[in-house]
Amino acid sequence: MSAVTAGNGSRGGVVKVESREVTRAEVEEFLYREAQLLDEWRLDEWFTLFEPDGRLEVPTTDWAGWDATTAGYFVADDYELIRARVKRLKSRKAHAENPHSRTHRMVSNVILLEAGAETVWITANFVIHRYRDGGAYTYVGRYEHVLKVEPDGLRFRVRRAVPVMESMDPGARLSFIL
Amino acid sequence: MAQQTPVRPLGAPGDGAMIDEDWEALRFRVHRSAYREPGVFAEEIARIWGHTWLYLGHETEIPKAGDFKTRTLGGRPLIFCRDADGEVRVFFNSCTHRGTVLCRHSEGNTKFFQCFYHAWAFSNSGELAALPGDDAYPDDPAFRASMALRQVPRLQIHEGFVFIAFDPDVPDLLTHLGPAAHYMSLTAKIGERGMTTLPGVQLYSVKGNWKLAVENAMDGYHFAPTHNTFVGYLRETGFAVTDDDQYAYDLGGGHGLLVLTGHNGRIGMVWEPRFGEEEKERTAVKRRELEARLGPELAAEVADASRILFVFPNLLLFDLEALTIRQLEPVAADRTDVRAWQFVEVGEPESVRALRIKTMVSFVGPGGLATPDDIEAYEAVQRGIVATADAADPAHDWSDMSRGMANEKQGNQGRSIDEGAMRSFWRQWAHVVGASTSVAGAPPAGAPASGPAAAEAGE
Ligand code: FES
Ligand SMILES: [Fe+2]
Repeated sequence: MSAVTAGNGSRGGVVKVESREVTRAEVEEFLYREAQLLDEWRLDEWFTLFEPDGRLEVPTTDWAGWDATTAGYFVADDYELIRARVKRLKSRKAHAENPHSRTHRMVSNVILLEAGAETVWITANFVIHRYRDGGAYTYVGRYEHVLKVEPDGLRFRVRRAVPVMESMDPGARLSFIL
Repeated sequence: MAQQTPVRPLGAPGDGAMIDEDWEALRFRVHRSAYREPGVFAEEIARIWGHTWLYLGHETEIPKAGDFKTRTLGGRPLIFCRDADGEVRVFFNSCTHRGTVLCRHSEGNTKFFQCFYHAWAFSNSGELAALPGDDAYPDDPAFRASMALRQVPRLQIHEGFVFIAFDPDVPDLLTHLGPAAHYMSLTAKIGERGMTTLPGVQLYSVKGNWKLAVENAMDGYHFAPTHNTFVGYLRETGFAVTDDDQYAYDLGGGHGLLVLTGHNGRIGMVWEPRFGEEEKERTAVKRRELEARLGPELAAEVADASRILFVFPNLLLFDLEALTIRQLEPVAADRTDVRAWQFVEVGEPESVRALRIKTMVSFVGPGGLATPDDIEAYEAVQRGIVATADAADPAHDWSDMSRGMANEKQGNQGRSIDEGAMRSFWRQWAHVVGASTSVAGAPPAGAPASGPAAAEAGE
């Protein structure tokens, strides 16, 4: 999996994969819906947004395009690990998130980069505010996702959140889904 | 005032000790001001960071001539670089002219470091190479020589691990490391073609005192309750975690070692089902390779147990799951910067590398399934210990680390699920910082074993 690069795929916020067209509105709807599920800690529903074999990745803050087979990462989950992560985060014994953080996500600057035979590569910006134990943390970055285009919607093939901070601030550990 | 515990009362550190050790009552306590007080923190920076060998980084972070990284250690900005001749150099990252931070990039490759303020330029071996308007300065080579970049007073390398000291009079590095040097060497021997750090450094900070991070690493007692969900994950993937055969060793000089079997698997060393069948075969081949290269005893030492090594004061080597180098940088009494590198075998197949990274980061690091709970634990300690500051009953303002002292008193090998490794750390800490210690009763007579081999020899 190489890094998403700016392509020339999108005209007027529409790209075409083999089976159908995908609009920016559809991608935005998908991302907003995801943000809502995560902010409401509806993790089982969130997990259904992945295709079987989907991946969840968070590179480190010094990231220069390395993939998770050649460099250290913060998160490099295959499908089974995403499942384990969800199970863990739902447990009372996930001490780092008991009680859960309050999170509030803003997603914008959605761009459809390129279409493959069955996937679309997109990027978007995010700002996540997180509150816990009297602390307030802000995570800023961009998504670089590969989405599988299904007849009935979109699924994550690769969900990658790239932090743009210089490091994780004090208290800002990634015990929630970035 | 009711004395609730049958112990000798001790007051605040002003009139008492920071560490209260009682071999009759089998009690070991640390005064909580040790984690809280800016004054204690200032003493630590001056006496420990100012006068001890510190782990700076690994040689493989700067493989080529001209490669550099900038990094802050003990609060001092530094340039860690390889000069044009391939020599590792460490400079204070501060222009000799007026003190400006010379290099403001976190990494790169360069022949010259040029200060943006008045444009002085220094070669990567530290000589002043360009001095704009030099006709206004003394026409004397000694002047230029005096303006060379300042190197740290001491720099020594053990197995690629680069240590520096800000005090020229520290003992030789190997003397400082003592038995810890051997355990660093074990990690360096894993790869047939050597070991290297990877890019993708986990940089994060915690709202906790640096000593809480050390304690947490040397504390097997917390593993089951704190990592309940991770232990559950391991069980589900077919690996039963146990507390058996987990030992703690005092390596002297504040260095500590946990040796863990049955803790979890390690890539290429101890197989577990979640690693898959391909890795099972590779592990068997790898084990034979180690034996052929290192001999059966050393191979067994490298392969058959996991280890957590703490090198006083700021290096942790986690040789479990796979290898992580973790460095601690104290920022304030209640804040620590952490940097963590994945340390991998040179030339391993891409599929193995991918498995290794996945396995490693699923456990360690701020996004893993385990480390966040550790961080939660020591951040919660930092928040909680203000409760008893200046308490009506000063006996309340202590943290207890007495678990396993009866065993220690009998001279038995310490277990990782006891708190003996923390007690050794705190004794050395008090010694170096000059904090007073109150010892009552007779400590155990024999010197503690300084590693598994020494333990066996003593039996
Ligand atoms: S301070 Fe660097 S050139 Fe003047
Ligand atoms: Fe832990």
